[in-house]
Amino acid sequence: MTPVVRVENLGATVDGHVLLDGVGFTVDAGRVVALVGASGSGKTTTGLALLGEGPATGSVTVRGRVGFVPQQPSAALNPVRRVGAVFREIADRHPGDPRDLIATALRRARVPADLLHRYPHQLSGGQQQRVVLAQALIGDPAVLVADEPTTGQDPLTRTEVVDELSAVVAQGTAVVLLTHDLDVVRALADHIVVLRAGRVVEQGPADALFTHPEHPYTAALLAATPPHPTPPTTDAPRLRVRGLTAHHRSTTVLRDITLDVTERLAVIGRSGSGKTTLGRCLAGLHEPSAGEVLLHGTPLPRSLRRRTPAQLAAVQYVFQDARASFDTRRPVLDQVARTAVRLRGLAESDARAEALAELAAVGVTGETAARRPHALSGGELQRAALVRALLARPEVLICDEVTSGLDTVTRADLLAVLATVPCALVLISHDPQVVARFADRVTVLHEGRVVSHGPASTAIEGAKEKMT
Amino acid sequence: MTLRAYASRRLLLGLVQVLAVATAVFLLVQALPGDAAVALAGDQPDPARIAAIRTAMGLDRPAPARYADWLLGLPRLDFGVSLVSGRPVAEFLAAGVGPTLLLAVPTLVLLLPISVLVGVTAALNEGGRLDRVLTSLTTGLHSIPEFALAVVLVAVFGVQLGWLPPTAVGVDLAANPAVLVLPLVVLLARPVCTISRLVRAGMVDALSSDYVRHARRLGLTETRVRYRHALPNALAPAVQQVARTADWLLGGVIVVEAVFVVPGLGTTLVDAVAARDLPVVQGLAVVFAVTTVVVNLAADVIAFRLAPRTEVAT
Amino acid sequence: MRLLLVLAPLALALLGPLFVPERQQRHAPFTDSGPLGTDFVGRDVWYQVLSGGRTVVLVAVVAAALAYAIGVPYGVAAATTRRRWVDEVLMRPLDLLLAVPSLLVLILVATIAGPGLVVLIVVVALVGFPDVARISRAAALEVAGRPALEAMRLQGESLRRRTGYIGRSISRSLAADLGTRLTASLYLVASASFLGVGVPPDAADWAVMVDRNRVGLFLQPWAVVVPAALIVCLSVGVNLVFDRALKEVRP
Repeated sequence: MTPVVRVENLGATVDGHVLLDGVGFTVDAGRVVALVGASGSGKTTTGLALLGEGPATGSVTVRGRVGFVPQQPSAALNPVRRVGAVFREIADRHPGDPRDLIATALRRARVPADLLHRYPHQLSGGQQQRVVLAQALIGDPAVLVADEPTTGQDPLTRTEVVDELSAVVAQGTAVVLLTHDLDVVRALADHIVVLRAGRVVEQGPADALFTHPEHPYTAALLAATPPHPTPPTTDAPRLRVRGLTAHHRSTTVLRDITLDVTERLAVIGRSGSGKTTLGRCLAGLHEPSAGEVLLHGTPLPRSLRRRTPAQLAAVQYVFQDARASFDTRRPVLDQVARTAVRLRGLAESDARAEALAELAAVGVTGETAARRPHALSGGELQRAALVRALLARPEVLICDEVTSGLDTVTRADLLAVLATVPCALVLISHDPQVVARFADRVTVLHEGRVVSHGPASTAIEGAKEKMT
Repeated sequence: MTLRAYASRRLLLGLVQVLAVATAVFLLVQALPGDAAVALAGDQPDPARIAAIRTAMGLDRPAPARYADWLLGLPRLDFGVSLVSGRPVAEFLAAGVGPTLLLAVPTLVLLLPISVLVGVTAALNEGGRLDRVLTSLTTGLHSIPEFALAVVLVAVFGVQLGWLPPTAVGVDLAANPAVLVLPLVVLLARPVCTISRLVRAGMVDALSSDYVRHARRLGLTETRVRYRHALPNALAPAVQQVARTADWLLGGVIVVEAVFVVPGLGTTLVDAVAARDLPVVQGLAVVFAVTTVVVNLAADVIAFRLAPRTEVAT
Repeated sequence: MRLLLVLAPLALALLGPLFVPERQQRHAPFTDSGPLGTDFVGRDVWYQVLSGGRTVVLVAVVAAALAYAIGVPYGVAAATTRRRWVDEVLMRPLDLLLAVPSLLVLILVATIAGPGLVVLIVVVALVGFPDVARISRAAALEVAGRPALEAMRLQGESLRRRTGYIGRSISRSLAADLGTRLTASLYLVASASFLGVGVPPDAADWAVMVDRNRVGLFLQPWAVVVPAALIVCLSVGVNLVFDRALKEVRP
């Protein structure tokens, strides 16, 4: 059987940097090849080369058309165009009756025809995903290139994406998957190509690579398992939340939330379920309209303004967007050290020394920390933000989606740091890997209510029943 | 919120706005020094004559009573009578509306096509020579005082070259379109700059957006990608600015009317203020307020259509 | 080139009055005597040009400064209040003010208060301040919601440092708008003077010169074209200089 896609000796150099060097692989019809690797490994450049774009040189042979499924369908769909109008425009560019082409594509991607009258913002995340898939399927491409199809999606949409793609594969279309989502790779890929710094480190059948990786980098990348967290030390809950209700303007985002935080609690739920607001209420960043948060039995003031330094120190928060949480004008080290000065009364020099030591422990050197935020990578800033919060010696640390947007290796590093954190954790997350390996308890939020709470394994199952 | 619910709510808000402007202008006008009675009494102000005129015009009645009368007349388009000539204010307004529309309508008709053409051309040549020239021009001219531009143009094209009539004195505007050329150029200068800059910025953003990249990958033609996918997104912010311009044009462009001697609403206003003809000033203010409300409402409805995702702000 | 566009009229406006002799001869109106001829009452146009820029420039700058002095605290107060209704009470009337044509406000107020540079300054500032207030409010709101500021609050950072951060961030947005404000102010001042609002009818003022000498446009165009061209240069120059400065700050 001749392969649908044959890539040989792909190379790319931009401004003297080697992006790709000697990359080659083949894709058979109805098969899924996953290109995996950290950010900057050359996944995207390879994907662009399949589309005939980008700086790559070498040989790419495709028997048939290449369809493209973009990352973040919400950004790829034109906000001012109705879905159906764009379908007709695409179909006009292909031979055959446009109506048949559209109908076939819609059927294959399982898009109901009544969605065609809507604007993209009137679709759910899963529906948007299916719409871009259907767009790619018009004209029956031989191979689909899917770029990070699950990044930024909530767990339920993520499973939907996997289902849709496997349905397409079952119809005989090949798929090239560019992703760092290992769950998707595990669920879909037949063949894995591991990229590192533009070179193929190792490639082979998916089963073989997962069970017996030959190259240590493959092992690190595919395993990337965080060390098991330190076991709970106390049983009494540190934070208790009682009847918490919160509003944004006139919409109620949290309704009567009651839960306890003992050691490592994960809060999960779809976008808009209220999980970030819950975290912000705990930290005092959002003022709830009713209910209370108790620290060791004592109510915390609802607003940050009225919390004492000791109370501020006790509950700390790490922001989703690490870069936005730093002042762009001051060196990172200065900003990190201020926690110890303000909340623990340390002298400036002692605070800096302590901050330096802790930053070094998480792999951010003094030289790096002395720079301003723009000179640091996302992973470095996220670790610095973590240290900034930890310097308060908190009892409870709230982490809002701290791993989103990080690649597998960087994420593994960050999780390794989090595993050693000597305080209770509230992890607000989309990331099933984080939840499964990290949390001892899971709270599932849906439309502002707790729909399930309990040990990690049972809570998610319980939630699925209640949410559907 | 549906479009209809939004529109009716905005109309209600607009009504309140018109009322507030009407009241504010009424109060301001009360504060004007001297009154029409004094002006009418002529060169030898005789106190008895002034008092008689006051009584005849109802100026001696308390302000709240006059305010209530005036307000109740508005829905019937009864704006009162001019203190100076005794003619109904509505007649003044009707006389001024013609020339104002004659300037405003062609300006508005030309505004969007020219601005879009300039903005899109600049955006498609982003960073190139043409873009730099257009951007410098639109940046430089975007808040140039009309009278200065007007007299320079009149001096060159009206006087030196003699190509176009320098003013509209004693000319029937509708019968002599050449008279309108220079005023239109002057009126277009500022809005074209502002709006084409908005269109350029919107277009540059849209052309580098994910959805445009995606549309290209889907194999759509470049023309379609530019004009059906990118342009509508670039237009939404421009619509609001077009509304502000329409509002400005319909409110009587005082300066341009003064330079070219066009007897529009702006001239009516200046004359009325100078003559202390209070009912005319008040009537004009109400008309301007209504125009503002209607034009902005229309713009919001259009913007809502162009950018359906925007949450309607109230 | 850009700098020349601003500096030439600016230097003329600010330094020009120094070169005007105390006693001037009067000639017949609209003749060719003197480098630029004479004006409608027979004064030397060149000396009028030299002395007529100062008021335009100074009034525009002072009015813009005044608009900032009122608008920035006003907008920041509206943004930082913890009560929604205070924000509403502060900002809603501004919508109204923006809905009234600015020249109408200018003419009415100037007619009530009588002519005078102070009145002109106050009115132009009044017309400009709603925009400044809105921009400051938006900038302050944006900064107040930034994770960077929230992180500082979580660190228990002092009020002084937090205000410092807010001030620095807002001033950037305000600086971005400065050129627009200045030209808008220049636009209003010149247009008002042209309409005879706020300045005496025989004042040595570029805008007034344009208005008064228009009757002689056929006889002696310099008396109109030179001051008009100077105002155009100033406006274009200010726009281009600030636009370039902005690009260099934020490439």
